[in-house]
Amino acid sequence: MSSPSPELPHIATFHTHYGALCFQRRLAGLGERAVLAPVPRKLSVSCGTCVRFSAPFQTGWADEDLEAVYAQEGTDYRLLFQAQEE
Amino acid sequence: MTRWKEHLPVILAGLVVGIASVVLVALGNPVNMGFCIACFLRDIAGGLGLHRAPIVQYIRPEIIGLVLGAMITALAGKEFKVRGGSSPMTRFVLGFCVMVGALMFLGCPLRMVIRLGGGDGNAILGLVGFIAGIFAGTLFLKKGFSLKKSQPQARVEGLLMPAVNVALLVLVIAAPAFIFFSTEGPGSMRAPIAAALVAGLAVGAIAQRTRLCMAGGIRDAIMLRDFHLLMGFVAIFVAVLVGNLIVGAMGIRGGFTPGFAGQAVAHTDGLWNFLGMVLVGLGSVLLGGCPLRQLILSGGGNSDSSMAVLGMVVGAAFCHNFGLASSTDGPSFAGKVAVIIGLAVVCAIGGANVKKV
Repeated sequence: MSSPSPELPHIATFHTHYGALCFQRRLAGLGERAVLAPVPRKLSVSCGTCVRFSAPFQTGWADEDLEAVYAQEGTDYRLLFQAQEE
Repeated sequence: MTRWKEHLPVILAGLVVGIASVVLVALGNPVNMGFCIACFLRDIAGGLGLHRAPIVQYIRPEIIGLVLGAMITALAGKEFKVRGGSSPMTRFVLGFCVMVGALMFLGCPLRMVIRLGGGDGNAILGLVGFIAGIFAGTLFLKKGFSLKKSQPQARVEGLLMPAVNVALLVLVIAAPAFIFFSTEGPGSMRAPIAAALVAGLAVGAIAQRTRLCMAGGIRDAIMLRDFHLLMGFVAIFVAVLVGNLIVGAMGIRGGFTPGFAGQAVAHTDGLWNFLGMVLVGLGSVLLGGCPLRQLILSGGGNSDSSMAVLGMVVGAAFCHNFGLASSTDGPSFAGKVAVIIGLAVVCAIGGANVKKV
């Protein structure tokens, strides 16, 4: 489920499944490799959906449903981006 | 090997839930009902007098334990995050509809697995319906279904559901005159309060840590080809099956009794067992988790899940006040109408909340 994926080292988490779906399709539209997957337990208590992707994250990809972006390093995760909430 | 290490917690969680279920039956809970979120919320509604079906009235300590166990582990793991405001009324209605479906089948998805492990063939139809409902739910998700994101809320908002459960615990222990206790039927069959509470606490804690979810397991398998959560589902079945074979051989209450007719707290109407669980599966996917998962999330500070749970409690009261719930004789006409309406309502909610992807 959360095994290191060298080809898809980045993980984006979302507040909704819809957000994940939009993000994945947006990246796919840009020609980037991105797949939907269950959120690793270390990153969230929710049983929701994340997106694993290969390209370096760009803040312009963020929308209101994006929660955070991590780089997977072995079995650990390094926070790259955290969306701000009120 | 790494993969199996990742799957081990959820498999162990499933085994613990299954064993706890068999033990609770041996200690007095209804057969094939060591745990049932729908039945136990229904019993609580009856215990509080929200419905007057005399055979299903008891404030079940298992539910209290589930919520408080989840809260304790969420707090200990610094995961108690209070959020809500994601279409609360819609979640209430979805919870209501899920309960209508569950009381048509006579059990939540967890009890469906427990019934399978007890040899109840009627639960096979329920499982097929549950999978069909989840599949339909994934179609809505793929089309862009969303109840919109939740927002951070005040801490007290997340503490209220655990507080309500503490109050319920006080009531079931103190047993004041205005609380109802069944003297016959499933509501009268109960494990000792302490045992039920401890089992609930343990399962609540484990489910919070592992995200065990009946609907999530099948949803992820269908939509993402990921079988992690499904392994917990299978582990519950295996533990209940083996446990029932053991207690059956020892002559203890419970046991494995294969067949369709004469199963405990079940009926043999295959079509309505199927359709009831279609409604449960579809509603659960739109809610983001099965009834067990909603309880666990409510204990972790999610007030949206608390709304779904309240919808289930009110739904249970309606089901028994208006004759919608099935009995061992089969479904009622009113119950069939309610399931059809429930399916229409849940599909309408699904369609109305689809956004452009």
